[in-house]
Amino acid sequence: MNMARSLALPLAAFLLAGGTALAGEAGTALKADDLKAEPFRDAKTIGSLTSGDSVEILKRQGGWFQVKSVKGDGWVRMLSVRRGEARKGSGDAAGLLGLASGRAGTGRVVATTGIRGLSEEELKAAKYDEAELKKAESFATSRGDAQKFAAAGKLAARKVEYLSAPGAAK
Amino acid sequence: MVSRIATALVSSSLLFCFGGAAYAIDLGQELKKAIEQTTQPQTKSGPPQTNTGGGMITGGVGALLGISPEEEVAIGRQAAGNLLGAAPLVKDAALQKYVNNVGRWIASQSERPDLAWHFGVIESNDINAFAAPGGYVFVTKGLYRMLQNESELAGVLAHEVGHVIMKHHLKILQQSQLVDIGGKLLAKTAGENEQIKNLIGNGAEIFSRSLDKNAEYEADRIAMILAARAGYDPFGLPTVLQDIGHAAKDDSRVSLLFKTHPHPDDRLAQLGEAVGDRLDRLKGQTLEKRFYRIKQ
Repeated sequence: MNMARSLALPLAAFLLAGGTALAGEAGTALKADDLKAEPFRDAKTIGSLTSGDSVEILKRQGGWFQVKSVKGDGWVRMLSVRRGEARKGSGDAAGLLGLASGRAGTGRVVATTGIRGLSEEELKAAKYDEAELKKAESFATSRGDAQKFAAAGKLAARKVEYLSAPGAAK
Repeated sequence: MVSRIATALVSSSLLFCFGGAAYAIDLGQELKKAIEQTTQPQTKSGPPQTNTGGGMITGGVGALLGISPEEEVAIGRQAAGNLLGAAPLVKDAALQKYVNNVGRWIASQSERPDLAWHFGVIESNDINAFAAPGGYVFVTKGLYRMLQNESELAGVLAHEVGHVIMKHHLKILQQSQLVDIGGKLLAKTAGENEQIKNLIGNGAEIFSRSLDKNAEYEADRIAMILAARAGYDPFGLPTVLQDIGHAAKDDSRVSLLFKTHPHPDDRLAQLGEAVGDRLDRLKGQTLEKRFYRIKQ
């Protein structure tokens, strides 16, 4: 894939709702997995990632990330890759979505006091609000209306079996 | 004792939920015991229980002693009212209607399509989502803002729907030592009344409980399938998990989430093991264009 195409595709994909552009975002392999020439199981394997390998994520298509890596450029299952640096690394740069707040971060995953929003204290102090609950209930959608909503979005129901837990007998 | 029962009944979760304070320690032990008692390998039963192997909370739905569907809804209703007392709905009727449309369509693919499902977006900058028995599901504005298309919203709501249909919270109660007390109280109740109010209490701290991590993994697996059944790209939820795992490290809005839930990386890896190539052929819609974006 030439450079022009790899640049153009993510944007087009974003605009056309065909995939999600992640242009050049850092990622890390969560486990060993094959690197494929195309986003299909049967596609040619062009290399393999090992856990902890750094990749550059170009875009997502279905359950696949298109990545660049020292092991090769290709497609890897998105569930085998995390976005961002390795988990134990130092803090990430501001997130793609601008999630990093202006607040002083606590830095690490620790118990925190003074959390804004729905803190433990605020939850504890909450008083039952019947009016607000009734309001919430007033927005309910009937099953039939949900069906119409789905049809308007060209969402067609289909049969898909539940997934077994990893390691569970089929 | 009453509030200890209540905490077992409802908890939050997508990715999430808040950590317990000192108050939680006692309960945590109870839940831990309860969960340990219920992590025996499960023999086969009907869907969706077929996917609960590997240390899942088990027990058929019919085995939920003393909790009728009406009582389940009454409990959920009380819990939802308490939560809304802490964080009211975002004042945007179009938004609320939209999430009910998406949520009800997702729930329609589940084993409980005719439950009186209610969905809402609540005023909070935290990144979190909550499910209560009986079909009450709430997403914070902070989480909603992270979403980029309808399939991601569908995935988030589907995770909570998964908790509801599996009755994760009720099962913990059933399996705990508190079940007798709960059963007695509940047996006398029908609809909202003083006893349920006493059971739940006024505080919405009941939403600060976390479930066993296997219940979270199970809800993740259910979520991808419900989204797929509904015609969506099933990778909406994993994408949200990617966002949270990637972006939230220093964000206090999720610090307790990380404390009480499996790390998003672990959830992705668990999903990866379960999914394999199963969903390769399912494309599905993402519906960026239709996705309702919050104005303010």
